[in-house]
Amino acid sequence: MNCEVCQLKELEVEHFEIREVLRCILHTIVFHRALGLVRPKDIDLELFDITYVQCGDIEVEKKIDEKIEQFVSWVEKHPNKKSEICLSFYEVKSKHPSWFTNKIERLDWEQWHINLNVTQHPKPKAHSGKSHHSKIVVDPGESASEERSVRRASLEVSLREVLFQIIKFVNEKKDHVPPITESVIYFPYEIHIPRKFL
Amino acid sequence: MDLHNNSHPESGRLEQIISQFLLKSLHIILDSRIPSLHPHDRSGDFQSSSRVRKSDKWFNLVLGDRPAALDNLNFWQRNVMDPMIIDIILVRRGTTSSSVDDLYSSMADRTPIETVMERWIVQYNTQRVMAPQTGESSASCKKIYKKSTILLRSLYSQLRLLPAHRIFRQLSSSSQTYNFDIIYKVSSFCEPFSWSEEEMMKEYSFMPVEALPGHLSLSVTFRPSLSDFNLEPLATFPPKIITDYVGSPTTDPLRSFPSSDRGDRATSFPLKGIRPLISTPFQRPHSWTSGFHRAAPFMANQSLGGSPPAYRTSPMPYNFPHTPSGTYGHRIQSCRPPTHQRATGNDEYELSPPFSPSMSPSTPTYFSSGSPLQTRITSETAPVTIPFPKSGRSSRYLSPNFSDPSKNSLPPLSPKSTRHDPSSQESPSGIRSIRKPEALRAGELNSGIASHYSGHKILKDGKDDSGRFSGLLSSSGSPHIGFSRSSSRLSFQDDLDDGDFSCPFDVDDVDTSDSPNRYFSFPHFSMCQCRYNLFACLTVKKSLID
Repeated sequence: MNCEVCQLKELEVEHFEIREVLRCILHTIVFHRALGLVRPKDIDLELFDITYVQCGDIEVEKKIDEKIEQFVSWVEKHPNKKSEICLSFYEVKSKHPSWFTNKIERLDWEQWHINLNVTQHPKPKAHSGKSHHSKIVVDPGESASEERSVRRASLEVSLREVLFQIIKFVNEKKDHVPPITESVIYFPYEIHIPRKFL
Repeated sequence: MDLHNNSHPESGRLEQIISQFLLKSLHIILDSRIPSLHPHDRSGDFQSSSRVRKSDKWFNLVLGDRPAALDNLNFWQRNVMDPMIIDIILVRRGTTSSSVDDLYSSMADRTPIETVMERWIVQYNTQRVMAPQTGESSASCKKIYKKSTILLRSLYSQLRLLPAHRIFRQLSSSSQTYNFDIIYKVSSFCEPFSWSEEEMMKEYSFMPVEALPGHLSLSVTFRPSLSDFNLEPLATFPPKIITDYVGSPTTDPLRSFPSSDRGDRATSFPLKGIRPLISTPFQRPHSWTSGFHRAAPFMANQSLGGSPPAYRTSPMPYNFPHTPSGTYGHRIQSCRPPTHQRATGNDEYELSPPFSPSMSPSTPTYFSSGSPLQTRITSETAPVTIPFPKSGRSSRYLSPNFSDPSKNSLPPLSPKSTRHDPSSQESPSGIRSIRKPEALRAGELNSGIASHYSGHKILKDGKDDSGRFSGLLSSSGSPHIGFSRSSSRLSFQDDLDDGDFSCPFDVDDVDTSDSPNRYFSFPHFSMCQCRYNLFACLTVKKSLID
């Protein structure tokens, strides 16, 4: 079976935006791969004017939140670095089953690579007169908040593009998706940070 | 090609998948765009419902009750080859020089402007006759079903990313009243957009799902930006205390009330959150659900030539079952007149729910047969009074007047009632409004007395109507009379699901216990009983004031 790979467009996010952005992207992907009976749940982002859909499964929600927290912890230890979080859907198959061995192998049939560039924009500071340099008069709020607004708007546009990218991908690539099985709501998946980023 | 003629059993399954796909896609689109059709908590209050309907099992997407509008679309079940074109239309009320003038200007001064925000086309395309491959057809049906399931999820997500979703959200969640509303039109063909309109629109097509001998296609033409439209809330007026309402100890109980020549005009209450009283002819919940949930849009539509007179039922060219819910006006014929964006006055338009009147004599008609423009909705009301009945039977305002639509009026519903009233279905028997030449006193409503209108059968047995009761809700929590929002007609869709082909990926029903009545919890009242309950309410109100 082919493993389809989708590299999502890189997003430049600030630390406090990571959770919302990742939650939005991960849930959107899982929703499209949760082909069992689901009760979709609309979620409005707080930081952006975007509504995404969750599949409504509590276990999915917990797992995604847990992985996001792990990622956030990792980002805190590696600030200002490009990072990637990978969501893989897999099948479990027996490898060379025999009387003595029954190795189980995991076969990924789809991988999603979410690329984030976490930036930490320093807050403006006013220097004291102790410095031998001339005083740096900082325009405290306006330019920084304007810059942040511009960045936020740009991120919203980019995030929307990523969501459209997901929709486009799931519609173009369907043949590799395993058949729907009864009582299975969503295909088994894993969220991890690739080793090259660790 | 007529899949019916193919005797192969798989062709029947394929046709079933296709027809259910059409219905499901329509359900998703209407659910995501038309607040009045299926108002519910957008966080998904049906999450709490443990009941899984048969329609939910199709494509494994629980959407809750299908709008009654889908009941009348069985022609698509007969011929799945017909494309299904769904126009999502933004209706804006034209404005005068000032917002205050808007409130008091006549209907003729405020002409509705329609703009197609989105046009969805769902179609099963087939270009040649091709017999399904025997031996593979079962597997191919499963693949088609799986791919269709994915496509519908994409549709669901896409609807939330398009610009129109913001407007839908605005109308759904806010308790404010707006000068616009969203309506829809479903047809099998329509006129293409003009060149200028096409320039302003973008198109997106989902990857078709191969379903030999054809394929399922889904596309949308949409306006990428709606910021050009002046979509704003209407001004509201502060609450106004009326001191001489009926029931006050200081009011002369035998005072005669002046007859009003505004009997056919709607008045509204100045109280915030109180829905305007609409003195319009018999109203059916479905045809004005958008109004009951948001007074202004309804008002706007009302003001668009009287609620909206522009929207009239047009004769259905197909053998279309004309049920009371036919007022939802699913047009199977050609689209509306050429221009998609125009000011509309008293012109008659093809039916576009939820403003379509019922043609059935047995059901109340919302629009007066006379001049619908007489219906007037304002945000502020003059003091309205309830004529004190001289006898229990002669109360004009208590007996529903089915023959004089101009004298009917409906009490407003409290916003709370709206918020907790996700069902948009009306009872098959419809709702009769109490004839009420004078509008209600705002004070009465303020105190919770709102049972100024009732259906001929105010509250039906909830079990008959999917467990939904009718009831007027007021802030005081006193018993009310409202309109039922359920329809038993939806059940026929479930009947269709009882074919020999069930969902190939049936899942066990989750808890099938009946969901509690989550919308209303008020006792039932008969038609006669409501009249007396009105008096009871008045008495209760008086005691509350005391």
